[in-house]
Amino acid sequence: MFRVPFLVAIALAIAFGGGIWSTLRALEATTGFGAIRLGPWEAFPNAQTAEADPYAKSHRASAGALLYASAEGLQFTATVDSAGATLRGDCTYRISGHTPPARLWTLYTDGAAASSRVRGQDLPVALNSRSILRKADGTFDIEISAEAKPANWLAIRPDGRFRLKLTLLDTPAAGSSGLIDLSMPSIQKTGCGDA
Amino acid sequence: MLKVLFAIITGLVGAALLHLVIILALPYFSEKDAYTRVLAEGSRHTFYRLPDVRDRAGLMQDDPFMEVSVCAYDISQGPIRVYAQGKVPFWSLAIFDAASNEVFSINDRTSAAGILDMVLATPAQLTLLRKALPEPIDQSILVETQQADGYVVLRTMVPQGSFAPGASAFLSEAICAPFEWRQSQQL
Repeated sequence: MFRVPFLVAIALAIAFGGGIWSTLRALEATTGFGAIRLGPWEAFPNAQTAEADPYAKSHRASAGALLYASAEGLQFTATVDSAGATLRGDCTYRISGHTPPARLWTLYTDGAAASSRVRGQDLPVALNSRSILRKADGTFDIEISAEAKPANWLAIRPDGRFRLKLTLLDTPAAGSSGLIDLSMPSIQKTGCGDA
Repeated sequence: MLKVLFAIITGLVGAALLHLVIILALPYFSEKDAYTRVLAEGSRHTFYRLPDVRDRAGLMQDDPFMEVSVCAYDISQGPIRVYAQGKVPFWSLAIFDAASNEVFSINDRTSAAGILDMVLATPAQLTLLRKALPEPIDQSILVETQQADGYVVLRTMVPQGSFAPGASAFLSEAICAPFEWRQSQQL
């Protein structure tokens, strides 16, 4: 005699549980559609505009971040290296190559293994295009490691995962018409653990 | 058994519907969106510098080299003027409406002489303004927006520590405020 209420309860539980769970997962997992993917780097040039898709609008409404407008710049995020493995604090990485055309750029880390951003701390937790050492042809190598490295060193903490954020300021890539050759630096793993 | 299967399928269809409803409705109900956070910083028409750690309103400057100020506006009573100048290596300004859609953006290379001088007005106000442009704003960039409220984000870059005083001066002297715009008409 309780079969009908039981069936209704199953349907309601799946509807509400599944609906809320899938929404939270979708908002957490993606910033929306329309990403530019260049190797491990990902950017959303239209996420701040009125043309953004409903997922992007929903994501930005719940994240509440101040996004870069098209004349300001474009922010690329990498959570994996060029081989597709997740970026981990106990590994070392080398970023090499050059960025798409931009007047200035900044690079910093974000996540559990990111060094906390406190002014006065001497570790190089972020780099920018003015402070970086380049090779004769304008390309650069950046070592990402918890241990100190010579030349361009980006410090991370040895535990947990992290994300790399590369912000191109005043870049034609933001209004990408597909005419510019966009090439992002590669992220190669150079070692893990104490080895 | 068939009834249980039917109940599960009904549940899945309901879940898909609910998913869509939440995704589409969230922007209208969110209490964590950028505009609400900017409003929580304080009164309108004032630039607020964002701290390095997340503040009470939930905003922070997450890029170590960028200094960020925000200002909420409401131009239903009159246009506002956004003005800033100083020696900084880079600045950029973005205007968003209340739904965080980009209305206008500019940086120091796209503005005249690297000075930020801009008037934000509704179409009706702009028509009145253009008839007799008051002298203080005759060099300003006139920006038209349909929505009367929103927020302005002003960023500047500090590539090395020695640029910090200049960036501080630039941001602290920036204004985002209403001005006397009907004066010239009464004459």
